[in-house]
Amino acid sequence: MPGFDFSNYNRNAALHARGMPLPKATSTGTTIVGCIFDGGVVIAADTRATSGPIVADKNCEKLHYISPNIWCAGAGTAADTEFTTAIVSSQLELHALSTGRKPRVVTCMTLLKQHLFRYQGYVGAYLVVAGVDPTGTHLFTVHAHGSTDKLPYVTMGSGSLAAMSVFETQWKPQLTRDEAVKLCADAIEAGIWNDLGSGSNVDVAVITAEKTTLMRNYLRPNERTQKLGRYVFEKGTTAVLNEKIIRKEDLSKFVTVHDLPTETGDDKMEIDV
Amino acid sequence: MADRYSFSLTTFSPSGKLVQIEYALNAVNQGVTALGIKATNGIVLATEKKSSTPLADPSSLSKISLITPNIGMVYSGMGPDYRVLVDRARKVSHTNYKRIYNEYPPTRILVQDVARVMQEATQSGGVRPYGVSLLIAGWDEGILPEEEVEQQQQGKEGEQVPIGEKKSKLAGKTGGILKGGPMLYQVDPSGSYFPWKATAIGKSAATAKTFLEKRYTEGLELEDAVHIALLTLKETIEGEMNGETIEIGIVGPPADHLLGVEGVEGAVGPRFRKLTPQEIEDYLTNL
Amino acid sequence: MSSPFSINGGACVAMVGKDCVAIACDLRLGLQALTVSNNFPKIFQYGDHVFLGLTGLATDVTTVSDLFRYKVNMYRLREERHIAPRTFANLVSSSLYERRFGPWFVSPVVAGLEPKTGKPFICGFDSIGCIDFAKDFIVSGTATDQLFGMCESLWEPNLGPDELFETISQALLNAVDRDALSGWGAHVYIIEKDKVTKRLLKGRQD
Repeated sequence: MPGFDFSNYNRNAALHARGMPLPKATSTGTTIVGCIFDGGVVIAADTRATSGPIVADKNCEKLHYISPNIWCAGAGTAADTEFTTAIVSSQLELHALSTGRKPRVVTCMTLLKQHLFRYQGYVGAYLVVAGVDPTGTHLFTVHAHGSTDKLPYVTMGSGSLAAMSVFETQWKPQLTRDEAVKLCADAIEAGIWNDLGSGSNVDVAVITAEKTTLMRNYLRPNERTQKLGRYVFEKGTTAVLNEKIIRKEDLSKFVTVHDLPTETGDDKMEIDV
Repeated sequence: MADRYSFSLTTFSPSGKLVQIEYALNAVNQGVTALGIKATNGIVLATEKKSSTPLADPSSLSKISLITPNIGMVYSGMGPDYRVLVDRARKVSHTNYKRIYNEYPPTRILVQDVARVMQEATQSGGVRPYGVSLLIAGWDEGILPEEEVEQQQQGKEGEQVPIGEKKSKLAGKTGGILKGGPMLYQVDPSGSYFPWKATAIGKSAATAKTFLEKRYTEGLELEDAVHIALLTLKETIEGEMNGETIEIGIVGPPADHLLGVEGVEGAVGPRFRKLTPQEIEDYLTNL
Repeated sequence: MSSPFSINGGACVAMVGKDCVAIACDLRLGLQALTVSNNFPKIFQYGDHVFLGLTGLATDVTTVSDLFRYKVNMYRLREERHIAPRTFANLVSSSLYERRFGPWFVSPVVAGLEPKTGKPFICGFDSIGCIDFAKDFIVSGTATDQLFGMCESLWEPNLGPDELFETISQALLNAVDRDALSGWGAHVYIIEKDKVTKRLLKGRQD
């Protein structure tokens, strides 16, 4: 891992000391869940990203690819969940290539917790790690400080209490695939309706030994209604002081590459050593 | 010291040579032959899996390696050096590219990165050059608009070209970062690299190249290229040819069944894959 | 109580249209309540069809725009091709996240057309590189709240270049009129497959 660049740190800390608030990062207020079933594991997430009280993204993706058979649901600081999972996915891909084996969920979980522990909770990623590997089906949670749990059903994020209430009342051992998908989707919906940090749609991923099926926007309970009026302004509404049109021919070409015609007849195969 | 100029591995001889690089090339030229052929719709890499003793277990040996989902590599020369380069190539494809742009490097960029690693070994203290030449085959997505690529090709056809040459001009347009398509490169211990339509490296490279020059035609399809690769190998091979003793890697159409996921928008399967012994046997029986 | 993001003021917005995209910014540079300049554009071009809008701390806007000019020039020399908007967006993202613990005080917006398909591409970022891929519009700057309201009501799918220009212009002008820290004129770029139109808008100077 290359590590971070701290060269702006002192400047920003000095500004902060003079009473300037730290920048507010996009956070995935979030409800994320995971649940093991007979033959695999399901994870699910809502799709709302917030910046303070503002909904920054109404349909973001919180289910992250690690490897074909391992996926991660992320809550907390959106950039941290995005990059932490990407770096671990990259490490795991190289590891899988050099060992010639499929990556394991414990390996993924260990890489994640080691990375997060190193940054003492300052990398604010809260993750549900799920996957199927040659050793079986696994489901973990990883907290930003590096602690992990292994449970048959899990919830995380600001909507975790709402989601857990669904699991605690409806979960039973030996679920089927469809029951598990329904249970996870219901748990996310509980978050969407009852937690302000969560909203919009339900994304679901089903991981089995054969394959992973991502069901993006599995439920869309908050479809935007068709606008009744149109607010398209008449051409010329806006006062323009100056206009400049750059056509394709004039577009700046900083580097142009032309293929030279191949020499007729014998193509030279020799190269001078 | 018998030779005054061998005190440092990275010093020029008075005649302007870096003898260590020449020795490394000698090591390559003693290596098992490997070859690559570029087709219009893909590339084939092939080599012989030679073991010095019948007691060796060839199934554990692998000479053709996947670097990124669309790029593969084969070598001639020293196996241990090759494995170091495979690890480095895979690593730099992530650290120098994927972790920055969230996409895999185009073939030429990867080739340049690997070539830099090999060049550094010719100018650093306490090291020796890598004793391998590489063939790197990959497929680039390209960024030119689809219709523009077609236009260019049609423009080529529209030119006043004798009938016989028309096809060759068209086929010459594949590959490259802009248009996308297959690319085949050779990298030498010095760190120099060349793009090829077809080439061979190793012990019987000269024989194989003469054979390829005769057999290669413009507008070749991948299936024909595999065929020619096996025929070329047959010319130079020392042992028996079967699925266990031949290794073939192909860059072909995206293998979506190898993706392992469904429902992911824009996900495309890997283009590079190694043929199984069974697949090789099938090609051999049809030879 | 002044955050680094609201010292200089400024607003930026990008919108998707039918086979075209638009990106627009205001022109104000201020020092808290004092306006220093009414000619401080916040949109930068990094290729034929790749544009970056930067709002936030003006010193960082300048530094970051220069940094990406350097990075994109190096990319173009190395790869002998122009950078695609999606690739550029990922470069912006990883460059911002590298400074996770000492960020630039900027909120970037990328707008462009995919070179291969000609499809519109827009996205926005927070200051540490989290990408917001939107299918409709992206807003940033001190007038974010106002812009969200304007865009949410004015924007609709499949706007042609002329309609898109009026929509984005009215969204921006009316948003910045309710933000004391931004305004003072605006730049609007309408990006189409074979032409880019840059317009200077008449805006309130108060």
